[in-house]
Amino acid sequence: MAENDNGKVRILAFLCNWCSYAGADLAGVSRLQYPPNVLDIRVMCTGTISPYHIIKAFQMGIDGVLIAGCHIGDCHYIKGNYMTYKRFQVMRDVMKFVGIDEDRLRLEWVSAAEGEKFADVIKGFTEQVEKAGPSPLRSGWEKDPANWESIRNAFKPLETRKPA
Amino acid sequence: MSIKERARELLGGEVEGVLGYRIVGGSHLPQLFTAADIDGMAEDYPADERYPLTSIVRRLQAEDPGIRLAVVARGCDERALIELCKQGQVDSGCIVILGLACDEELAQRCGCAEPFPSEIMQGRRVEGVPEDPLVEKIERLPAEERLDFWLSRFGSCIKCYGCRNVCPLCYCKECALDDAEMVERGRVPPTQPAFHLIRALDMAGRCVDCGLCEEACPMGIPLRALFRKVGRVVEDNFDYRPGRSSEEKSPLAVLGTEKDLE
Repeated sequence: MAENDNGKVRILAFLCNWCSYAGADLAGVSRLQYPPNVLDIRVMCTGTISPYHIIKAFQMGIDGVLIAGCHIGDCHYIKGNYMTYKRFQVMRDVMKFVGIDEDRLRLEWVSAAEGEKFADVIKGFTEQVEKAGPSPLRSGWEKDPANWESIRNAFKPLETRKPA
Repeated sequence: MSIKERARELLGGEVEGVLGYRIVGGSHLPQLFTAADIDGMAEDYPADERYPLTSIVRRLQAEDPGIRLAVVARGCDERALIELCKQGQVDSGCIVILGLACDEELAQRCGCAEPFPSEIMQGRRVEGVPEDPLVEKIERLPAEERLDFWLSRFGSCIKCYGCRNVCPLCYCKECALDDAEMVERGRVPPTQPAFHLIRALDMAGRCVDCGLCEEACPMGIPLRALFRKVGRVVEDNFDYRPGRSSEEKSPLAVLGTEKDLE
């Protein structure tokens, strides 16, 4: 992750522990190139992501939020991603109504074997968010745009902890 | 038979209390009546004095499970009871609904699509207003103007929590709006748009469009247009309308089947 990211769009990616995080790992060990402006938050299941977390991400000045989880039918908690998909639909349409570009939110299914897909998703989503530009919520209310560390800290309670 | 007559009859043994209104100083205020004081119950229901009686039902039942109550309910109150029942917040088996149809004036002013309960005991059924012109107006604005519109409206919020406190469907013991992580403490106007978006998303699959939030708002924030849109989003995506039937489950309350995702 780049430390000097001024001027670049910032993306927060919620990755499910079982599929997409492993997919991201595979992309890494396969030495696939993808943009470094992504902060990944590992969660046990995309179903644990509440709309609050997405609102919070945008409120903190994140330009795009990616949610990546297991394909439908592959959820390790059977149906966690069903809920993710339903929440995503509502979130996207409500964002549109309040004037936050709905292209800033994306839901993708990435399995542990799809390292290449993961890299492509990050590339594609970064382009999509760059097209939308920096978030209109980035400046204005928040005096200091939150830095990566404070964003990571904000989502710490949600994150899966690595085994000691 | 008027609501008051029926209430008196029910207090003969069927129910322990009736939730209605008493006139105090010229205003209608909610009150729980028993057989002893039912004579004091107001017989008319003015359009501009509405309260979430369903919230009182929920609290009374929480304190005293199994209490048998009758409640004066407009169309919106009935929808709220149905929704609260599905979410396990009230036991509709112990509730008798005394149906009150809204008059033309209130139906128009509220812009209500269904200003009558399923069984009308008092009042006459009038047709509802199907669409909200403000929702359509906002939808037609370009994206930046939509955001400016909402941020300027949200910016006038004085964080009185009136919208949440009056809402019949806001029953959480711990509210995200009280969470310092989500909404910074001691700052007015509150963190925006987070403050209002939290409520908007919580209302998905819940809001019964009673309009009490907008009525309670001292700053005139068009909350109803926001919650109506959220309601429409849920209806368009999942064909679910809160309070329509006690059989259907809210799509955001159950995991569902693969068919639900199509």
